[in-house]
Amino acid sequence: MDFISQNLLTILILFPVFGAVATLAHQMFWKQESQLKWVTLGFTIVNFLLSLILVAGRGAQSANGFLYESNTPWIKAINTNFHFGVDGLSLWLVVLTTFIMPISILSTWHAVEKRPTAFYVFLLLLESAMIGVFVSLDLLVFYLFFEASLIPMFFLIGIWGGDNRIYAAVKFFIFTMLGSLLMLVAIISLYYLHLDQTGVGTFDYVTILHSLEVGKLVFAGSTGTLLFLAFALAFAIKVPLFPFHTWLPDAHTEAPTAGSVILAAVLLKMGTYGLMRFNFPLFPDASREWAFVFIILGIIGIIYGALVAMVQPDVKRLVAYSSVAHMGFVIIGMFSFTEWGMQGALYQMLNHGISTGALFLLVGFIYERRHTRQISEFGGLANVMPIYATIFVITAMSSVGLPFLNGFVGEFLIMIGMWKSAILPVSATANWNYISTMLAGTGVIFAAVYLLWMIQRVFFGKVTNEKNRTLSDLSWREIGLIAPLLALMVYMGVYPRPFLDTSEASVKAVQERVMHQAGGTVAKNGPSEK
Amino acid sequence: MMFPLTLLVTDLVTPNVSISSILPELVVALAGIVAMVYDSFFPKDRRVTGIVSLIGLLIAGVLLAMMWGDFQPVGAWNGMIAHDNLRLGFSFVFLLVTAMTILVSTVWVERENVPSGEYHALLMFATFGMMLMASGNDLVIIFLGLETLSIATYVMCGLRRGDLKSNESAMKYFILGSFASAFLLYGMALVYGATGSTNITEIAARVANANFPALLLVGGAMMVIGFGFKVATAPFHIWTPDVYEGAPTPVTGFMAAGPKAAAFASFVRVFVLGFPLIAGVQASGYLHDSWMTALTVMAILSMTVGNIVAIMQTNVKRMLAYSSIAHAGYAMVGFIGAGAAKSVVERDAAIASVAFYMLTYAITNLGAFAIVTLLGQKNDRRTEFEDYNGIGFKSPALAFTLSLFMLSLLGLPLTAGFMGKVMVFRPALQAGEPMLTLLVVIAVVNTAISAYYYLRLIVVMFFRERTSDWSAPKIPAPIVVALVVAVVGVLYLGIFAGNVIDRFSQPPPSGIASK
Repeated sequence: MDFISQNLLTILILFPVFGAVATLAHQMFWKQESQLKWVTLGFTIVNFLLSLILVAGRGAQSANGFLYESNTPWIKAINTNFHFGVDGLSLWLVVLTTFIMPISILSTWHAVEKRPTAFYVFLLLLESAMIGVFVSLDLLVFYLFFEASLIPMFFLIGIWGGDNRIYAAVKFFIFTMLGSLLMLVAIISLYYLHLDQTGVGTFDYVTILHSLEVGKLVFAGSTGTLLFLAFALAFAIKVPLFPFHTWLPDAHTEAPTAGSVILAAVLLKMGTYGLMRFNFPLFPDASREWAFVFIILGIIGIIYGALVAMVQPDVKRLVAYSSVAHMGFVIIGMFSFTEWGMQGALYQMLNHGISTGALFLLVGFIYERRHTRQISEFGGLANVMPIYATIFVITAMSSVGLPFLNGFVGEFLIMIGMWKSAILPVSATANWNYISTMLAGTGVIFAAVYLLWMIQRVFFGKVTNEKNRTLSDLSWREIGLIAPLLALMVYMGVYPRPFLDTSEASVKAVQERVMHQAGGTVAKNGPSEK
Repeated sequence: MMFPLTLLVTDLVTPNVSISSILPELVVALAGIVAMVYDSFFPKDRRVTGIVSLIGLLIAGVLLAMMWGDFQPVGAWNGMIAHDNLRLGFSFVFLLVTAMTILVSTVWVERENVPSGEYHALLMFATFGMMLMASGNDLVIIFLGLETLSIATYVMCGLRRGDLKSNESAMKYFILGSFASAFLLYGMALVYGATGSTNITEIAARVANANFPALLLVGGAMMVIGFGFKVATAPFHIWTPDVYEGAPTPVTGFMAAGPKAAAFASFVRVFVLGFPLIAGVQASGYLHDSWMTALTVMAILSMTVGNIVAIMQTNVKRMLAYSSIAHAGYAMVGFIGAGAAKSVVERDAAIASVAFYMLTYAITNLGAFAIVTLLGQKNDRRTEFEDYNGIGFKSPALAFTLSLFMLSLLGLPLTAGFMGKVMVFRPALQAGEPMLTLLVVIAVVNTAISAYYYLRLIVVMFFRERTSDWSAPKIPAPIVVALVVAVVGVLYLGIFAGNVIDRFSQPPPSGIASK
């Protein structure tokens, strides 16, 4: 038990890799393709259970404010270490990752016909990379996982995707890579800035943050802004923020169901998580200066995403564009730099993972039955598939933000946060914080419009297409895999305390660092105070 | 006036000769000679010459490792032979390149009835030339090494005598290569005229008060052209695609990895060590500024031209040729970083990073060429992108291995290519100058562009379906060995790069006094 708790994060990262090796070996020696999904499912469930230890053990922080911290040297020549740890920002994201994996594997039960071995191997490798992103506290190691997550996703879209999969896969890869490479330049520059000013070159996030807080490391001139922008671009593309979002509808639509679910639930969160973890604490001044740009882009994303979603003829594309709108909410919440807004953003990240993940699963169910996702092909499905229709409506409501479902809590917190924010200018005639909140608020209305309109056309009225008359309702497997998501939607909507409590301290630390510390020279209770 | 005379006499009687300091080079040359002689007696036997060459390379490798350790050569041919980490690091790369090339080319030697003795002997002489280029601390030695290398490669390009493209390749390379050599030689002569020495250490000392500073600048410029041609950087790259496409595939792989690295070794030695920036001396400032600017422009051009043109290629060999131009550009970023280094330690680390980069590039590229050779069939007929359509799951081992090499060339984490890129970008960023930071930004934007064509091969192999029949080729044992070495190398250098980086940046215990 000691061994597990000391190396828990390393185990969480490596376990899926072992799973991938086991899957390959299984296929090589037994050649029983039907057993593959069981093997994979087993590995992901065990990994999920292991990750629950994180939740049980929260509270026992190390001196740096991190749980389950471990630090293993990697390349001594350039002083980079496998430094892992979780805190309030990352804990639930790790659990979300391990939680969504078994569900997405269950969703592929009958869907993967070609090359199942490779499919499951890529899924498991993807899980490793995603957990690595959320727990890395060394910038180079973070970059490593951030990039590594691209490859399995690239193959998942490219091999098992829809008709336009090649275009979507390559676009996804190149967009993300361009952003993250500039981040690499910034990471190496940070190493040398630290070397020049303190005499020690390091990629270690905790060390760099500490140097910034005590004033040993100071960014002169425009350095801080440039570094901020290099990091922010990588994350903005991943989120995706408005002008960089064009890869997302393609990737989402073409990806196989499991791929879309993971993309929506976890991969997009890497962007918002990165902003919160790295951009804000490392470059507080630049974060404040540039906040208005991000808020404007976030609002554009909310409204534009919603408007475009409204006119989509394809259900999956509609859900994809709704992601753009939802992530816009997360962005403005974070950049409001109030505790409410940032807590709400973090909460909304989890919500979006659960609701949008569920929506993609539901779209996948109907696609497996009809091999089409065009809204015009459906109509009156509620008569034929009542259970499916019920679940779909609940999920859509959670996505819209109906009170007592999870989406409401997040969006409400974000809007309070933005309203109370002091980040945008206030003049005698106009308080831009209020105006932003109001504009963002329209997004909730739009979300109701596009989702409800879609539901009306797909589910209600008479059955218009004869092909739909014979569709079977959800099987027990399908209900079983969506049920945990539904339960969470309700639970998180009614009782958000456990989630918000866990992240409170970490969020507060980031918020204080951004708003109350001038230029990173005042040492105050930041997360890495020693 | 008796003193000079006695000096002359002692020099004649006990010349400053030390076989031990060039032992690895000699072993390689000897292996080449044995291969050649053996071939003239038993021309039918294809294997022995290859084995002899491999043994020679292995012994040379062991000797090199010893030179990095306790083995201390004495004397240095009057300062003509260097003994530093630049030489040892690069020499190690050359030995690896040649060994891999021999393994890879076995298929081709069998398939096309190549005179193997000739081929192996030429390969060994080329290696000897490359090693001299890395160890030469004197312009004359560097030139001799370069010519030994070049003449051997001219012939190797044309080894497929019946093929028009191969002949074209050899002819083009010969004519343009000779032209470039002439530039280089002229440059060397002018530098000699300005400084009165061909020894690089001496030149570095005399750059400060050269006879005619203008001569030095012109000489330096001509050498930039000469070396620029040999490393294949834009705008001196025009020969590369034609020569690479026409040459037999294993030879192409060899040329993209070995001679390129060798030219880099001399290029770095002459410019970084020979034309340093001496504080307060105007002439050295001019010279240093000029070559740094020239190289920056060349690096930017190489990366951009190489990557953009590579996107348009339909032939895998041509694509890899343009990608090698781009990679020369990336390596040059580290080279420029070495030129901008503020201390000797930083400079040595930067030089080591260039050597390390060439190692990662060589091992990845040779792996890729091994597979291209294998799939190419007789006369390299199957080297178009279309020929790779949908082979991914028909031959998963080969296809995934090739994908790994493509991702490493692209520079994704956990592969050698990533560590190589990090290492060469570091020195340029360390200098902290806006221009060099911009150079690195251009380099990473280029990396993103390059994703398009590296991924294309993966796309073609895995994401498309094959319409015509295709059966996976049988993989012969030597290729298996080469591929295993390449895969293990790519992953090892990507994950446990620390050891190798330490080794490369650590100078051997006893540097020889330069004169």
